[in-house]
Amino acid sequence: MSDYTTEPTRCEAMQEDLTELALGTLSGRSRSEVLDHVESCSRCQSELEWLSIVADTVLQLAPEAEPPVGFESRLAERLRGSSDVRRLKHRRRASVLTAAALLAAVLGFGLGTLVTARSTDNVSQTKTANLISTSLNSQGHVLGEVFVSAGNPAWMFMTIDSGTPSGVVWCEVTLTGGRVETIGQFNLSGGYAAWGAPLKSPAGQVRTARLIAANGTVLASAILPA
Amino acid sequence: MNRRWSRGEDDISDELLLSGMAVGDDRAGLVFVRRYQRRLFGLALGIVGDTGLAEDVAQEAFMRIFRHAPVFDARRGSVATWTLTITRNLAIDALRVRRAVPTDPQDRVFQELMSNRRQPDDAALTSDAVGRAKAALAGLPIEQRRAVVLAAMYGRTAAEIAAEEAIPLGTAKSRIRLGMAKLREAVVIAEAL
Repeated sequence: MSDYTTEPTRCEAMQEDLTELALGTLSGRSRSEVLDHVESCSRCQSELEWLSIVADTVLQLAPEAEPPVGFESRLAERLRGSSDVRRLKHRRRASVLTAAALLAAVLGFGLGTLVTARSTDNVSQTKTANLISTSLNSQGHVLGEVFVSAGNPAWMFMTIDSGTPSGVVWCEVTLTGGRVETIGQFNLSGGYAAWGAPLKSPAGQVRTARLIAANGTVLASAILPA
Repeated sequence: MNRRWSRGEDDISDELLLSGMAVGDDRAGLVFVRRYQRRLFGLALGIVGDTGLAEDVAQEAFMRIFRHAPVFDARRGSVATWTLTITRNLAIDALRVRRAVPTDPQDRVFQELMSNRRQPDDAALTSDAVGRAKAALAGLPIEQRRAVVLAAMYGRTAAEIAAEEAIPLGTAKSRIRLGMAKLREAVVIAEAL
């Protein structure tokens, strides 16, 4: 990868197009040329990242305005008419507010009675901002959701509505490089559970999560976005 | 909204709300809409300049946000940036579909952004990137400020700006670059604080 000192002229010549690329207004041949250059130039890569942050920031300067009366109800009507949303609404899932309560509970904010999980991992307080979620699947069926919260330590949360019998299950994750770590165990009650535990490794290293039954059967798995 | 759920909802992160929306949680969706509707509608109105069209844009933006909530990746940027970018792109598309020529951005919102008057709350904002960018934008020479607002907010290309302003393409490009470079300095300082 080149840097500014080896290609000053080319980098300087790219500045205007780099700015327009960050603003999303560059197209055609110029766009491909800049993208090609950025791929091999760390200096311009960094510059593009900064300019993109600036472009995003300018968008946030738009003044707020009160939507017309009835905006919410009209939006709700549209959402109700959406087949995707209708399908999702029929699925019995733990709500995000339950997940929020779970988050608070496992972080020691005093809502522990809401959590049925038994985890022996150390609990530490942290405020997480970045959450990644993905579905927990078994043979093509969605059984629940996995949430991975970046932080130090990172946390994993699960909501499961599997319909399978009750019992103790284990959660294990596969890390980049293939190492497997057991995160903890908890009870499925009537096939349902909401559970969370701290991860032993950084969130970005988690590639998959699996739910293992007492007999070693893999009940469900999830692939985390790379 | 059910009042039982209003308690503490301000403390729920945008990312967590999106996770809830991804699994069909209506309450998370409602909290999210109430949190963002003024910003999305305001941006849409600023770009299209028409209340009815701005509502269509903002509603479609929310529909897309709900639809794509499962694939939102927090590592690629904030929820606010993501939602505003969706809204901006929809607004620009809507303008291009409904009008043969780009709208003349001489409306109240454009004028407010173009204004270099300091607002009463600017001082409180200057400790963060948005506040510093706002102050820096207000401090730009008028021609650079106009070029940056037209490109960043209204999606105008350098060629379109050159045509609208009756200036050479190179001049339009320079104005955009110089203006953005000054805003970059302001944002970098804010990030370093």
